[in-house]
Amino acid sequence: MKILTTVKNVVDVELNIHLENGAIVEKGLQYVINAWDESAVETAVRLKENISAETTLVSIGSGEDNTKMIRRGFAMGIESGIQIDDPALAETDSSIYAKVLQKVYEKGSYDLVITGKQAQDTDNGQTGIILAEYLGLPCVSNVIAIEVIDEQHIKVSRLGDAGTEIVELVLPAVVTVDVSINEPRLPQMRSIMMAKKKPIDLMDLAALGITHDEVGGAALKSEIIEYTAPEKREGGQKFEGDAAEITARVVNLLATEAKVF
Amino acid sequence: MAKVLVIADTKQGVLKNSAAELLSKAKSMGAETAVVVMGCGIETLVPSLAAAGSDTQYIADDPGLEFFSAGPYASCVVDAARQFGADFIWFGFSESGKAVAPRVAAQLDAACATDITDVICEGDKIEVIRPAITNKVIQRVKINAGQLVAVVRAGAFEAVEGVSGTENVVTLSSPAPDLKAVVKEIVSEAGGEIDLADAGVVISVGRGVKDQTGIDLVKELANDLEAGLGASRAMVDGGFMPHYKQVGQTGKIVAPTLYMAIGISGAIQHLAGMKGSKVILAVNKDPEAPIFNVADYGIVGDLFEVVPILREEIKKIRA
Repeated sequence: MKILTTVKNVVDVELNIHLENGAIVEKGLQYVINAWDESAVETAVRLKENISAETTLVSIGSGEDNTKMIRRGFAMGIESGIQIDDPALAETDSSIYAKVLQKVYEKGSYDLVITGKQAQDTDNGQTGIILAEYLGLPCVSNVIAIEVIDEQHIKVSRLGDAGTEIVELVLPAVVTVDVSINEPRLPQMRSIMMAKKKPIDLMDLAALGITHDEVGGAALKSEIIEYTAPEKREGGQKFEGDAAEITARVVNLLATEAKVF
Repeated sequence: MAKVLVIADTKQGVLKNSAAELLSKAKSMGAETAVVVMGCGIETLVPSLAAAGSDTQYIADDPGLEFFSAGPYASCVVDAARQFGADFIWFGFSESGKAVAPRVAAQLDAACATDITDVICEGDKIEVIRPAITNKVIQRVKINAGQLVAVVRAGAFEAVEGVSGTENVVTLSSPAPDLKAVVKEIVSEAGGEIDLADAGVVISVGRGVKDQTGIDLVKELANDLEAGLGASRAMVDGGFMPHYKQVGQTGKIVAPTLYMAIGISGAIQHLAGMKGSKVILAVNKDPEAPIFNVADYGIVGDLFEVVPILREEIKKIRA
């Protein structure tokens, strides 16, 4: 079984984000592997450990941080890595990411694509699903468990509105995973050292047969034009002291001031 | 006039609040409205869908649609969108909506925006507002495509009294089942529980409740108030609460009238899932807990002491 997993380098959400003139200030930002993608990588590696599978990771991005993230995937157990780096991809939307990934998929004939269900920078949650549509493959999103039935079938659990949906998929297929699917491993020092030596297959859009017109400007279905700070929610009244007394006071305020009862 | 198609979510044959909220917003924009509803035995919903503000009701009533399956659901929405000539296709904030919206957008070659909290329409200009980066920033996004498929965040729009529509039913043809993604069963742990997304009051438990005894204590309060019971990630990871009850960026995002955080310290991840609530009450024994920075009312104290008093006092005041 050939597994393709996608990873995105995203801003560290634990750090503060500063804005200036409607844009995010780059200085001071740190980049990390998207948490959902880290779970996707872990899912792929665990499948590889249980069945015979080849694992490949693909990342769209540039720079040192992006390379480091790919190596982290290697250290976790992924065998090959592809990096799509092209200045024309500086501004993208989910459908463009999906279009690029579609070409990567078509070059490799994979049986299973595993992506994170969303990226923690955009919180869009679209790319994996749109990719499946472009490829005409079956897809289940928000997956919390995967079981391989045989070479052609997998069974997945998806967190849905009515409960956990158990879905049987015919391969090739695309799944997008939730972080709750697993606890990603911390790579061992030895694996980290070995990962440094692994080659990364670097490609630009031309290598994928995509022209710049297909990804930039008019091809963008949507574009972010401004960032603003969210309305800050202020803390209100905090009460300390005798439990019976302060609780009664708060309930009274909930009824008279907040009018929720 | 813009044309807005709203996807009506249902639960066990009952209409969820999102349809009325989205239709109210569409009407306030002066749009022509339609609704699409999918399921089995749902034709009875037509009068309430019209009353909620839809002028046309696209109905896909088929035994094959009883259980959610993203492929056939997307086919129905695409069919309705084409027949109606929709400019906007709006989904409520449900797992089905999040799964189907990108498919519909891809099939229609439309723009897709998830998690939106507002839509701005001025002449030809269409923009949406949405939070990103775990609620740390708000994006203003310009829509370039002619059609916009959007998933609207819980609590973004309010259902307005006095909105109404007309009954005009269009029956959709049954979609082909997805033979490559077959739903085998739905394991419902939730049963008759109150859905977090629809609950007027949500009470969540965190590490402070310690174990099942603590959960049971809070559950009694939740039962009194007919509230949805949620949890922090710590409680889910610890195996005390099921995944579908997790409130937070990686779980459910809720915006009830009243949110009670019991024994929850208030990690960024959790705050991102409940900050949109109208009123927040926090109970925590640590006066420095970050939850107090967003709570309208904070009780510093031992929850095992406070929660029973809370129950009694609420009972008294509601009597």
